Amino acid sequence: MSAADNKNSSYITDKEVSFKFDGKKYIGYKGDTIASALLRNNVRLVARSFKYHRPRGIYTCGIEEPNGIVQILNEHNEPNTRATVKQIYEGIRVSSQNRWPSLNLDIGSINNLLSPMFSAGFYYKTFMGPKGFWKRIYEPIIRRTAGLGKPPKEFRSKSIHQNHNVDIVIIGGGLSGLITARKLINTQYDVLLLEQDSFLGGILKNSKKIEKINNKEPNEWINETEKLIKDSKNIKILKNSLVTSYNFTNHLIALEDKSVGKKIDINKSELTLHKIRTTHTILANGHIERFISFRNNDLPGVMLAASFEKYIHRYGVVPETSPVIFTNNSTTASLLRSLIDLGHKPAAYVDSRNKDKIGRKLLNYLEKNNIPFYINAEVEGCDGNKKIKTISIKKSNKIIKVKSSMLCISGGINPDIHLFTQSKGLVKWDDKLVTFKPDVSFQNTITLGSVSGNYNYEKTVEEINNKLSFLKTKNIKLKIELNDISNFNIKELWETKHERKSNWSKSFIDLHNDVTTKDLKQAVREGFDRIEHLKRFTTNSMGTDQGKISSINSLGIVSKILKKKISEVGTTTYRPPYAPLSFSAIAGRNTYEFYDPQRKTPIHNWHIENKAVFEDVGQWKRPWYFKKFEMESMHLAVQRESEQTRKTAGILDGSTLGKIEIKGKDALEFMNLMYTNAFTKMKPMSSRYALMLGEDGMIKDDGIVCKFNDKHFIVTTTSGGAPKVLADMEEYLQTEWPHLQVYVNSITEQFSTFNISGPKSRDIVSKVFTDVDFSNENFPFMTFKVFDYMDTEVRVMRASFTGELGYEIYITPNKALELWKKIFHFGKAYDLVPYGTETMHLLRAEKGYVVIGQETDGTVTPLDLNFNWMIGKKKKDFIGKRSLTRSDTSRDDRKQLVGIVPIDKSEFIEEGQHVVECERLPKQIRTPVEYLGHVSSSYHSPNLNHCIAMAMIKGGNKLMGSKLFVSSTYGTKNIPVEVVSPVFIDPENKRLVS
Amino acid sequence: MILINCPYCGERDQSEFSNGGEAHVARPENSENLNDKDWGQYVFYRDNPKGIFYERWVHSHGCRKWFNAVRNTSTDEILAIYKLNENPPSKENFTNTLKTPSGEPKVGSGNFTVKK
Repeated sequence: MSAADNKNSSYITDKEVSFKFDGKKYIGYKGDTIASALLRNNVRLVARSFKYHRPRGIYTCGIEEPNGIVQILNEHNEPNTRATVKQIYEGIRVSSQNRWPSLNLDIGSINNLLSPMFSAGFYYKTFMGPKGFWKRIYEPIIRRTAGLGKPPKEFRSKSIHQNHNVDIVIIGGGLSGLITARKLINTQYDVLLLEQDSFLGGILKNSKKIEKINNKEPNEWINETEKLIKDSKNIKILKNSLVTSYNFTNHLIALEDKSVGKKIDINKSELTLHKIRTTHTILANGHIERFISFRNNDLPGVMLAASFEKYIHRYGVVPETSPVIFTNNSTTASLLRSLIDLGHKPAAYVDSRNKDKIGRKLLNYLEKNNIPFYINAEVEGCDGNKKIKTISIKKSNKIIKVKSSMLCISGGINPDIHLFTQSKGLVKWDDKLVTFKPDVSFQNTITLGSVSGNYNYEKTVEEINNKLSFLKTKNIKLKIELNDISNFNIKELWETKHERKSNWSKSFIDLHNDVTTKDLKQAVREGFDRIEHLKRFTTNSMGTDQGKISSINSLGIVSKILKKKISEVGTTTYRPPYAPLSFSAIAGRNTYEFYDPQRKTPIHNWHIENKAVFEDVGQWKRPWYFKKFEMESMHLAVQRESEQTRKTAGILDGSTLGKIEIKGKDALEFMNLMYTNAFTKMKPMSSRYALMLGEDGMIKDDGIVCKFNDKHFIVTTTSGGAPKVLADMEEYLQTEWPHLQVYVNSITEQFSTFNISGPKSRDIVSKVFTDVDFSNENFPFMTFKVFDYMDTEVRVMRASFTGELGYEIYITPNKALELWKKIFHFGKAYDLVPYGTETMHLLRAEKGYVVIGQETDGTVTPLDLNFNWMIGKKKKDFIGKRSLTRSDTSRDDRKQLVGIVPIDKSEFIEEGQHVVECERLPKQIRTPVEYLGHVSSSYHSPNLNHCIAMAMIKGGNKLMGSKLFVSSTYGTKNIPVEVVSPVFIDPENKRLVS
Repeated sequence: MILINCPYCGERDQSEFSNGGEAHVARPENSENLNDKDWGQYVFYRDNPKGIFYERWVHSHGCRKWFNAVRNTSTDEILAIYKLNENPPSKENFTNTLKTPSGEPKVGSGNFTVKK
């Protein structure tokens, strides 16, 4: 009793392939899956189960496999690969999962003996307390034992995405799919035929159910059809392509495996994700056989009958020459015939149906071939150590024991409605077929063949002609001859009655997640009687196989417990994906360096040469700080840069600043509406700090506005806010004020920007731009000049984000580096220092300037920041104006911006800490502490030599001078602080305007 | 992912567009005369019906133009698309089909795929 080759099968080639499973070498044939090759070598034990670590064998022959999940050690160390799908190639190394130290001897199987503990809801009930145990004890342990395979390391898979726009998609290249394709050959329709397998044929290849089509052998007919399709101009076939989701507006996702049966070539893409738009979708994706629950229905050796038959015909391997067959329906007759035709004799045939349903023809056949058969009988259970030894058959309360190492079961067949329900189609219960089948489509979806509940292959052609009559095609004529004449019939059977023999005996409903029928009963008893609740409580059908062979069974069992009809119990929701797909397929080319573009300024390479440490600001790479020597810490560098800037001069590469040009007849009116400030009386060639609000009155962005004249402005935005500001301007221009003649344009990358500041900055720029008068009288604060320089136009604005005398220089990017170097050439005499974003933040905090997104968080109005002076109160309207007088925004206990300094100057306040009224830590006091606000910015000021901080505090303006406390992550007490003005340096603005 | 027919560029994937919420909510001209409640109505309140909805879209990764659409929020069907300067089609043109899965309650999703 062992496996044998089916010499009649066309798939037995003499091309042998050697592969390794758990370190041991085996030989299979080219075209074998891991599963068929292992069965060929009589390997029955291939995996350990998820929870109880029970021995498991191959159960099915396809995508629905719940047991045979393995890790591929070569390639990317890919875990959780279905052995029934993955084809072998020379040198593939496969290992089993979820076992230690070995598959044969697995310590984890102790869980099986402890199983009374691990009943449904075990985790929910057990790991409740005591407090703190979850994080420190439970979670680390559960994490270590959870999952099946090991995740790949240094994973770098290649996949690409491809788009299709077609008229008709046919899903499934089986009997119905091929007939439909033949019907559509050389019609006006653009057709895509998707087949998950590596060749067409489906049921024709997987069984001997169909004898002849148009008097031709099925294989001959398939080859003929494939050639006709290939020669046609309008149909494209995609093999190895599995449709994983069916979305709205007939949008389908299919995953094509490009390396089936061969080693992955790391220079080529392994996967193609097809994104398909279609007018009509034809579902011809067939059916999936379901199992029956009985005692130890998970033992290695139990296999679905149709899968067993598929191994014989599709892979040319008879997994066992004398298995026991247990069925409740008519589909297993062809398995019986297949075995007998090959000269093998099944050990027994067990059928739960009665004589009338089985039919005289089959009974005669059994008698004639001398096969022991039991009708009106059930398999009670099976026994054995890591594989089946005996099978107990129960017939009228008598137990008959039969010896065999394999048991083929069939509990009926389910139309594969997964994709149909994903498309939002409705299903209905069919009492005759004892399953759900498609009813009303929600989109342009047509189901054909067994997926529509039509199990009679002779009627397939008629069905296709009827359902596709709306297409402009001719009716197709085909004669299909069957091997078995019996019509499909079935007796409802979900679970057989069994005597509990030991703790080890279990009757499973979900093999993948180790859910037993007992768990279902317990869950219902505990009140989880809604199918969606029950599923989540027991984790039934939540494994990677999504309960493809068992979910309808669980509905059957639950309906029996609840004494309801199955149609009343309903189904759980089917969600994409149909089968697991790897993240790399979804990511496509958007990985690593291609994930998001990096934006660099023209000075970037200079920064690298000068030891800049970079910070990501949106997509931009900005210097964070510059190391003067290799060992210099960030703190020291920032203190040095800040001090030097206030002493002589510093320069910042501000090229990332967003810049928008606004031009047009009505530019002035537009600016007055977009920003809070009043621009009407502003002089040409002057600039102004400006705020932009949302309609809710909250600050959205800030920047400096340069007014050339009433028809021409240039504004700067925050580095990250530029796209949003431009989009907002566009939106208002298009939707609210289409009468305004204004053009807005992003010029962020058209100009590089340098901010030079410090008391010596005037001396430096005067030496660089020798023709320009930089004197205070002729170039006052907040004005700008445009002049020719180095054969280009340069704009210099006198502005400052540091509180020092400062200039912003705008120049075309291709001249930027040259100018930058020139500035350093002349700046050397003044110890000009380059500084990064951290120093920029420190310097602005010393001066009390805010950063949008740091002091503000979308809930801050200009009034909260004491920016009353920036609001054009006389303007009739601007965005957000009315909101500033709403009862909520005009409250005086809103959070307001203040400065805070520690009373003990040696202490440091951390950003993000809470500001409270009490000194002691909240732990030691019983009543909740009132939260006054939070610290938004905090730095150690090198120029004042103590910590300075800004905070948003409730009613902060009124608290000036008072003593409050800031929470801290160290020490046992809150830090006492004094509320002060946020302007720490030069409150009279002498440095700015001198 | 739905397909949207940009009136300037033609049919494109939804991923190229951004939704702008309810359409035909005009910004009040005389906001200074509005009381808090009426102004709040404009700033904060938008309809969210199940069924026919007039909404704004922008082809943000395309021509950057705004336009209006009529969409059945229960089926994601786009019933009409029109430019900003065109009159909205009357609601009577569309039958308010709430044909999401099963027995269709007036509110909620009806997450039940079996027809009764």
